[in-house]
Amino acid sequence: MPPSIHPVDLVATLRQRNLTPAIIFLTSRRACDEAMQSFERSQVTLPKAQQEQIARVLTQVTEQFPSIAEHPLIETVQRIGVAAHHAGHLPSWKIAVEELMRTGSLDAVFATTTLAAGVDFPARTVVVTQSSIRKARDFTDLSASEIQQLAGRAGRRGKDLVGFAVITPSPYIDLTVLTKGLTGQPEAIHSQFVITYPMVLNLLKAHPREQIQSILAKSFAQFQLNQRTAVLETKLDSLRAEMEPFGPRVCSDWITQWQVFEQARKRKKPRSPFARQESPDVAARLHFLTPGRVVGVTRGRGIILRQYRSKGQHAPMVTLLREGGSLNECPASIVTQVFDRTFDCEETSSYPWCTPQTLEELTHHLTELPPRLPILPILAHQHEETPIDSSIIHTLGDFACPTCPSRQACQRDFPRASRVRQEIQRHIKSIQALQTSLWHRFQERIDVLEKFGYLNANAQLTADGEWARLIRIDHSLLITELIRAEAFGAIDPPLLAAIMASIAHDDDRPGSFPRGSTGLVTLLFQVRKLAESLTPHEAPPMLRADVAALTERWVSDQTLTWIGLARLTTMAEGDMFRLFARTIEFLSQLKTLKATHPSLAESADHAIAAMRRGVLEELP
Amino acid sequence: MNTHELERLLMQQPVSLLHRLARGRISRHFRSGKRKLVDLLLQASAENRPGLESDLQALIDQRAERPQPAPVENTRPPQARSRQDVPAPSRPHRTDDHGHHEPPVSLHEWLSGIGVPPPQPFVPDAWQVEALEKLAETDVVVSVPTGSGKTYVAIEATARAMRENRTVIYTSPLKALSNTKFTEFSRVFGPGQVGILTGDRREHSQAPLLIMTTEILRNLLYDAAGGEIDVRLDTLGLVIMDESQYLADPERGVVWEETLIFCPSQARLLLLSASIGNPQDIADWLTAIRPTPCSLIRHTKRSVPLRAGYLHPNEKLTPLFRTAGIPYGQPHLLHPEAKRLFMEYEEETGPSRSR
Ligand SMILES: Nc1ncnc2c1ncn2[C@@H]1O[C@H](COP(=O)(O)OP(=O)(O)O)[C@@H](O)[C@H]1O
Ligand SMILES: [Mg+2]
Repeated sequence: MPPSIHPVDLVATLRQRNLTPAIIFLTSRRACDEAMQSFERSQVTLPKAQQEQIARVLTQVTEQFPSIAEHPLIETVQRIGVAAHHAGHLPSWKIAVEELMRTGSLDAVFATTTLAAGVDFPARTVVVTQSSIRKARDFTDLSASEIQQLAGRAGRRGKDLVGFAVITPSPYIDLTVLTKGLTGQPEAIHSQFVITYPMVLNLLKAHPREQIQSILAKSFAQFQLNQRTAVLETKLDSLRAEMEPFGPRVCSDWITQWQVFEQARKRKKPRSPFARQESPDVAARLHFLTPGRVVGVTRGRGIILRQYRSKGQHAPMVTLLREGGSLNECPASIVTQVFDRTFDCEETSSYPWCTPQTLEELTHHLTELPPRLPILPILAHQHEETPIDSSIIHTLGDFACPTCPSRQACQRDFPRASRVRQEIQRHIKSIQALQTSLWHRFQERIDVLEKFGYLNANAQLTADGEWARLIRIDHSLLITELIRAEAFGAIDPPLLAAIMASIAHDDDRPGSFPRGSTGLVTLLFQVRKLAESLTPHEAPPMLRADVAALTERWVSDQTLTWIGLARLTTMAEGDMFRLFARTIEFLSQLKTLKATHPSLAESADHAIAAMRRGVLEELP
Repeated sequence: MNTHELERLLMQQPVSLLHRLARGRISRHFRSGKRKLVDLLLQASAENRPGLESDLQALIDQRAERPQPAPVENTRPPQARSRQDVPAPSRPHRTDDHGHHEPPVSLHEWLSGIGVPPPQPFVPDAWQVEALEKLAETDVVVSVPTGSGKTYVAIEATARAMRENRTVIYTSPLKALSNTKFTEFSRVFGPGQVGILTGDRREHSQAPLLIMTTEILRNLLYDAAGGEIDVRLDTLGLVIMDESQYLADPERGVVWEETLIFCPSQARLLLLSASIGNPQDIADWLTAIRPTPCSLIRHTKRSVPLRAGYLHPNEKLTPLFRTAGIPYGQPHLLHPEAKRLFMEYEEETGPSRSR
C-alpha cells in the first residue's frame, strides 16, 4: 500500500463520487507543487466547455492583474481544472484561483493550511491529509478550532446541500486528533497582550503615568487575569475558613514557632531538648525547673515562672518569683534545691510569663509556704554524650515549646496548619502577581526607554520620544536607535530599502540570492552590531544579507523586471512579494518622520516609489 | 513561588495534567517525558510565571473538585461551561460498539443528497436579524461557524450607518482580504463609497466606508490620542472587525486589543468571529470597558450540514463515523469500516513512519 493516495487518483475518485469542487490540504508548498506536476504528466483533459469557462474567468481577472498572464501554470490549470494555492504564489495568482473556485470553474485546488484563516474560499469537499502543522520549525497538532476552520470550507451556502470533509491518511496523520477536532468544541481564545515600546511611548504621549495602570486594566489580558484571580480568591476564601481553628495560641505565630522548633529538634534527635553543656547537677535539675515549681536559692525561696536560654551565652536561665513579689532573671545554677511542690501556673508568652491572676496567687502562696518543704532527690547522670552543636541549643532555647501547655495541640495540628498556611501564602502571592504583572512589565519598558533617552525621569516623552512613537512596527527600538546613531545620514533609497528589508524579513527559508553592494555589506555589519547590543531589550531581527541584496537590486535597477528579478533568486514569488510589501510598510513608517528627519523621510519616499512597479503596483 | 517550589509542584503532578498545561505553551509536548516536560514548561513560561502558576492551580483544583469526568452535553452549543480553557471532558466511553447504536450508515446513504439547492429568495437568518437589531442598541460580538453569512450583517450594518451619515471602518487581518472586501463592497455600495487605506496608500480616503488592516486602525487611534487627527474619527459611527478571532494571534493579537481599548466610545463595535470557545468572555470584556453594553450572537450549527469520510490510499471511500452527520461530542463513534481500514494502514506503514 502506498503511504498516501496519488493526487491524480484522489481527484479522480472525488470526481467520480461527485465530490468536486474540492480543496485538498497538503502539508507543504512543495507537496502542492509536486501534485500539480503529477497532473502535468497525466492524460487528464477537461471537456471543452469547462476549459473555456476557466479561460474566460482568467481573462477577466487578468484585466485587473496583468501579471497573471505570465503565470507558467495557466495552461495546465486550463487543461486539467486543478490548481495550487499557497504562500509561494503571488497574491494576484491566488486571487485568480479564488475567483476560479468561486465561479465553480475548477474541480480541485491543492492548498496549504495557511489558507485556513480569512480567505473566502469555499468548496463542496475538503480533503485533509495531516493532523499537525509546522509552526516555528516544529510540528504542532491541529487544534479543534483549526480543524473546524479547515472543514468549515466544505459546503457552500446556496450551492451545496451538504458538505464533505474527507480524511485520507498520509505519514503525517493521527486520526484521533482529527476525529476529536471534528466532533469537539473549538478552544477558548487567550489574550496575547504584550507591552511594546511604541505602545508605551504612545500611551505616555496621551496620558500621564498615573493613568496607565487603569488603561492596562482595560485589556483583555487583564480581564482574563481577573478571571483567574476570581478562581484563586474563591480558593483563598475556603483556605482561610480551613485555617480558622488554627488561630493564635500561647504564641500568636505558633505555626512558625513550632516549625523552627521541630527543625531544630529533628537535627538534634533523639536527645532531649535540653542539652547539657553545664554541670551535670544543673543539667539534671533543669528538667524540674518548670513553671510553678518551688525552688530554693542561696537566700530564700522562689517559684519558677519560665525557663529559657540566655541570648549571648546560651546559658540556662530561669525567671524567678521571689518572696516579696520581685521577679528575677537568674542563671539556673542559682537553684540549690528543688522542692517537691508545684502550683498551677497559667503561662503567657510575654513578661511576666504568667497571667496577672497567677502572679498574684503565686505571690500569695510564697508567703504561705511552710518553713520546711520536702526536697526532691535529683540524680545527676554522668553521661558520655557529645556536646550538642551550640546553634541548635541556641535555637531550641528561644522556644518555650517543650514546656508549653499548648504543646500537644501544636504538635497535632502543625502538619495541616502549616500546609494550609503555605497554600494561603501561595495564593496571595499569585493573586498579587496577576493583578500587577502588566503594570510591572510596563514599568520595565519605561525603564528601558528612559535609559535610552526616549523618556525623561518623569516618564514624559523627550524630543526623541516624540518622533520615536511614530515607529510602530516590530524592531522599533533597533530602527529608532539606528536613526539616532545617524546610520541613515544621507542614505540612498536602495540602501535604505535593503536595510529595512533585512529588518522586516522574518522567514528563514534558505535560498540563493544576488550579492549586495559593498556599501550594503558595511552598513549591514553596523546594523548587526547595534542589534546585538540591544539584545537584552529587544530580540534582534534576522538581518539576512541575501534578502537585503535582492531588495537593493530591485530598487537600484529600475530596468529590472519582476521576472528578471525572480531569475536572480530561488526565492518564491510569493515570498518576494511579501518581503517587498513588508519593506514598503516599514519604509512608510519612516516617511512619517518628515518633520524631524526630512532627508530620511524623503529617501524612504523615493524608495517606496522605486519599489512600487510591476507586480507591486497591482494591489493597493 | 520560587522556581524550585514550582518545579517540585510540577513534578508532583500526573503527566496528563502536565500535557494539558503544555497546550499552547510547548509544541509537540506529547513527545516529551515528564522530566523534559517540566523543564520545557519552566522555560516556556519564564516570561509569564503567574500565568503558568495560576493555570496549574486551576488544573489542580479542578482535579480535586471533579475526580470523575462529567458527561458533556451531546448537542452543541453547550449551555454553560464553567471554565472555558479546559477541553471538554469526553463522554464516558461506550465500549460496546454493536449493541447500543443504530447500524452504521452505509456509503450510499452517506453520499445521498449531494447537489445544488434550488435557487431561493434571500431570507436573512434569525441570528442575522438579531445581530442587526442588537446593533441598534449595543455593541455586538458574532461568533458563528465559517460560511454562515457574517458579511451580510456587515453590509446591512454599514448601509444603516451610511444612511445616518456616519463613517464606517471595516478592518480585516490580511491585506489580501482587505483587497477582496474592497472589490466586494465597491460592487455593493458603488465605487465612490468605499475607500482603502494601507501604510502608504489611500484610495477614496474620504469615502464613508473605509477598509484597512487592524494595524492601520490602531495607528489612526494612536495618532488621534496624540493630537494628530487625520481621519474623521468624530463622525465614526461603526467599527467592524472581521475575523476577530485573531485577537488570539500570538504575534498580532495585541493590536486587536489596543484597537478595542482605544476605539472611540461613540462608535458602535461589530466583531465578526469564527466559532471560538469563549465568545461570552469577549462580550463581557467589552461590556466592562466600554460605555455601551455588548451583546453576543452565537450559534454553532452549520448552515450547510457537514459529513466526514475516510478515503483509503487504495481509493476505497467510507464514512468516517457511524452516523452520516458529525457526532458532536463523541469522537469514538468511528465507522467500523473506517476503523478497520485505518488500522490496516497503520500496521502496514507503521514501522517506517516518520515525520
Ligand atoms: N441568510 C442567508 N441565506 C442564504 N445564503 C446566505 C445567507 N446569508 C449569507 N449567505 C451566503 O453564505 C455565504 C457565506 O457568507 P459569508 O458572509 O462569506 O460567510 P462568513 O460567515 O464565513 O463570513 C455567502 O455566499 C452568502 O451569500
Ligand atoms: Mg467572512
